[in-house]
Amino acid sequence: MEWTEENGLLLIPLGLGWLAVWLLMPSERKRPRILGGLAGLAAILIMQMMLLPPAGDFVRNGLFFLFAAGSVISAALMITDRNPVYSALWFALVTLSVCGLFLLNSAPFLAAATIIVYAGAIIVTFLFVIMLAQQSGTIGNYDQQPLQPAMASLGAFILLGALLFTLQEWGHIGRPDASQHAMPGQFITVPAELQPNPLSQPPADNPHEIGSLRVLGRSLFGDYLFAVELAGTVLLIATIGAIAIAPRRSQGTL
Amino acid sequence: MTQVSEMTATALESQLIVGATLFVLGVIGFLTRRNLILIMLSAELMLHGVSINLTAFSRYHGNPQGQVFTIFVLTIAACEAGLGLSLILSLYQRRKSLDVLLWGKLGEDDLPVFTSPSNPTVNVPVDPNAEYPHLSPSGRMPKTQPTTPTKT
Repeated sequence: MEWTEENGLLLIPLGLGWLAVWLLMPSERKRPRILGGLAGLAAILIMQMMLLPPAGDFVRNGLFFLFAAGSVISAALMITDRNPVYSALWFALVTLSVCGLFLLNSAPFLAAATIIVYAGAIIVTFLFVIMLAQQSGTIGNYDQQPLQPAMASLGAFILLGALLFTLQEWGHIGRPDASQHAMPGQFITVPAELQPNPLSQPPADNPHEIGSLRVLGRSLFGDYLFAVELAGTVLLIATIGAIAIAPRRSQGTL
Repeated sequence: MTQVSEMTATALESQLIVGATLFVLGVIGFLTRRNLILIMLSAELMLHGVSINLTAFSRYHGNPQGQVFTIFVLTIAACEAGLGLSLILSLYQRRKSLDVLLWGKLGEDDLPVFTSPSNPTVNVPVDPNAEYPHLSPSGRMPKTQPTTPTKT
């Protein structure tokens, strides 16, 4: 009983979220999609109330909730939209919101790189392919018939519940006595004898500058030089493989 | 520049929850959608959730290693998108459709199709020009008369 009193509050947004995703899924029968949207909003609001920090930077928290709610709502609409073109556009919105979260995490270079890679290249390519796929007429309405929506979302929300319960066990989500600072041993701490490379540490005059090009570049090409070379090799192999797999244009239209 | 103090544990947990939610929504999309491109987009959504976690931990610990790992995630996502798109294009050329259920049957054309009452059934168009390898059906060994080996 004690466990349910402490942790049972998390079950409400989880159940509401599952109901929202299940109701929003496209289906043959008419489902009350408005009800699903309301349930999803209620789940997000309850979650936000449990997350509300007692005090802090108002602008920062406001921006965080804006980007977090934007990314989660856009992701839910992306996986439940009937039209795959709209899904790709919702995914672009998810990417923009995630880049906002990157900015809040003091990672401006990463935000710019993600926008360039995703919104610049992948979304355009995906829209290209989606339009190619829809111009010749599709066989069946496969976008209106998802596979096992109730059971899949139930299993996925059980996974989310497990993650949140673990976080609550180690942190203090929704506890009224949430202290502002981490307790020792709350998360894994770096062993003291593990000395970091002094070149890849943030500069001494601004110790919170961790996302700038200078610090990132020194860490990438100092600590992770071998991994960078491996990543380059993987990119080269993927390029060769994509050229080898892609169908030839001489066989006709795509 | 405004004072960016060290991240509180509450702020870190908020970011971890957003990352976990994005990951789970990606899992749902990966499992339920039948469009091949949307399946790939859902995989990218899962990578976004992981990237939020990595940058949040990077800020929490005050070192750039989480962001370096996010750059590697970005690299792998680009590789995956390129390879996946070329695979999807070549699959689309075979069936002229992006439905993933058309690829649920990997057996030969004369074998029965697995059907489930909860799954929607699809009619797989048979490509008359396709040449697939044909294996002899498995089963018990047919009884044969012992014969003398033929000379070749």
